[in-house]
Amino acid sequence: MSDAALRVMRGLSLPIALLIAWQAAGLAAHSVRMPLPTHVVAAAADLVRSGELPLAILQSLSRVFAGFAVASVIAIPLGLLMGSSRGVERNVDPLVESFRPIAAIAILPLAILWLGTGTAAAVMIVAYAAFFPIVINTVSGAKGVNSTLLRAASTMGLPRLRIIRTVVVPAALPAIGVGLRIGMGVAWTAIVAAELAVGAKAGGGGSGGIGQMMFVFYAYSIELNRIIVCMVAVGLVALALDALLRLALRLLMPWAR
Amino acid sequence: MGTINGSIKLRLAHVGKRFDAAGRAATVAVDDFTLDVAQGEFLVIVGPSGCGKTTVLNMLAGLDRPSAGSVTLDGREITRPGPARGVMFQDYALFPWQNVRGNVGFGLKHGPAGAGLASDARARRVQDCIDLVGLNGAEDKYPHQLSGGMRQRVALARLMANEPEVLLMDEPLAALDAQTRLILQDELLRIWGQDRAQSSRRTVVFITHAIDEAVFLADRVAVMTTRPGRLKALIDVPLARPRNDATRASAEFQALSQHIWSLIRDEAYRATVT
Repeated sequence: MSDAALRVMRGLSLPIALLIAWQAAGLAAHSVRMPLPTHVVAAAADLVRSGELPLAILQSLSRVFAGFAVASVIAIPLGLLMGSSRGVERNVDPLVESFRPIAAIAILPLAILWLGTGTAAAVMIVAYAAFFPIVINTVSGAKGVNSTLLRAASTMGLPRLRIIRTVVVPAALPAIGVGLRIGMGVAWTAIVAAELAVGAKAGGGGSGGIGQMMFVFYAYSIELNRIIVCMVAVGLVALALDALLRLALRLLMPWAR
Repeated sequence: MGTINGSIKLRLAHVGKRFDAAGRAATVAVDDFTLDVAQGEFLVIVGPSGCGKTTVLNMLAGLDRPSAGSVTLDGREITRPGPARGVMFQDYALFPWQNVRGNVGFGLKHGPAGAGLASDARARRVQDCIDLVGLNGAEDKYPHQLSGGMRQRVALARLMANEPEVLLMDEPLAALDAQTRLILQDELLRIWGQDRAQSSRRTVVFITHAIDEAVFLADRVAVMTTRPGRLKALIDVPLARPRNDATRASAEFQALSQHIWSLIRDEAYRATVT
């Protein structure tokens, strides 16, 4: 066996052991409240075959992308300005910092009352959640730009805004990338939480998404195996999102390789 | 004292620079500094570290404003950086996200130096400058893939591509090893055009703490004293151009270097013990 295969085997041995233990404990417990790995796999196959799970994931993803885009469009330019101008930072930073401890889910009541239980409210919550990591990392990236590079650009006669675009942005890109990755992570976390909560408000006939689906399995049909399927799906989608974002950032920064 | 040939390009008149720090006494970096630089002259400023020579250069660049006196280019006050005065920095200041071609063409693409230049003319000038510094073949490399000597060649090509009237160089060779340094001194004089007439050369103000480098490059050497930075002496370097290894071996070169060293030895010594 090759070294790589051996390493994979070693990495998988603990999860497999835990699954076996889970299965054994579940069989011994004889309870409808105890999901079993074998039942979870069967439930996953059902949900994929029926198209319910892929649809729910797509609905959630489209909200995440919309909210993430809104957050980026606001947070990146704002972060660049804050990081490049002491005056802007002094004025805006206290505002950002005073909103930051308010969890995204805590603005849900307002979002629902203003925007209803549909996509708009979900997008707002995602945008709110993703905004903070993106803006904070962008500020730190913009502040960390090597000052000699800024001086070099200004001795070539570039005006200030042009320097931000041609020097600050690329120099801060690694830090912005970190902000985007963290932002994407919290956006995905926030959408599941938001859909769960919107589900509670809207009942069974809400607006879909993986969180809403979990809510239905929890509150109406009480299907633990399917809830576990949703949880695993949430985790896998998060991993895939991060991998995609890392790939995109690598392509954007050929010099960093 | 040194003599000036030709029209005056840069003028520092009774220039002072004070850095105020909250709660502490202000530092006087430069005091009553007066110096004229002629069109096409290669002027080198030497002095021990901390003598304010970089501050003088920054004021010429427009990166710093003097607290007293005036700094002028062609009789006009220098108030901010501008493309007529190109700067070369000790730590290269290359943009890591741009390859060699992108770095050399940066000022032409984004700055006023490239205004009114068609993109093919711009590309040609960039390539000419890359060839000029001997980096053809490395156009697509990124700075982190280059040696220190090559990086400074890129910085020189970028400087030349913008075609500034005045070249301001802040210890550009200080971070290089001794051999690379000698080679780049020769290259610098070749690219500056030491075999051309003075009227068609660019004006250079070059900062260094290396006396042999100063003598090898300069038409005149300005010697500075420390804290506050003042002009101590202006020394003509009558060595014939083009200069080469034979120049370095000449008795005249040695004597001039010795003389300048004798002017700053005491202060340089003090700078190492305080």
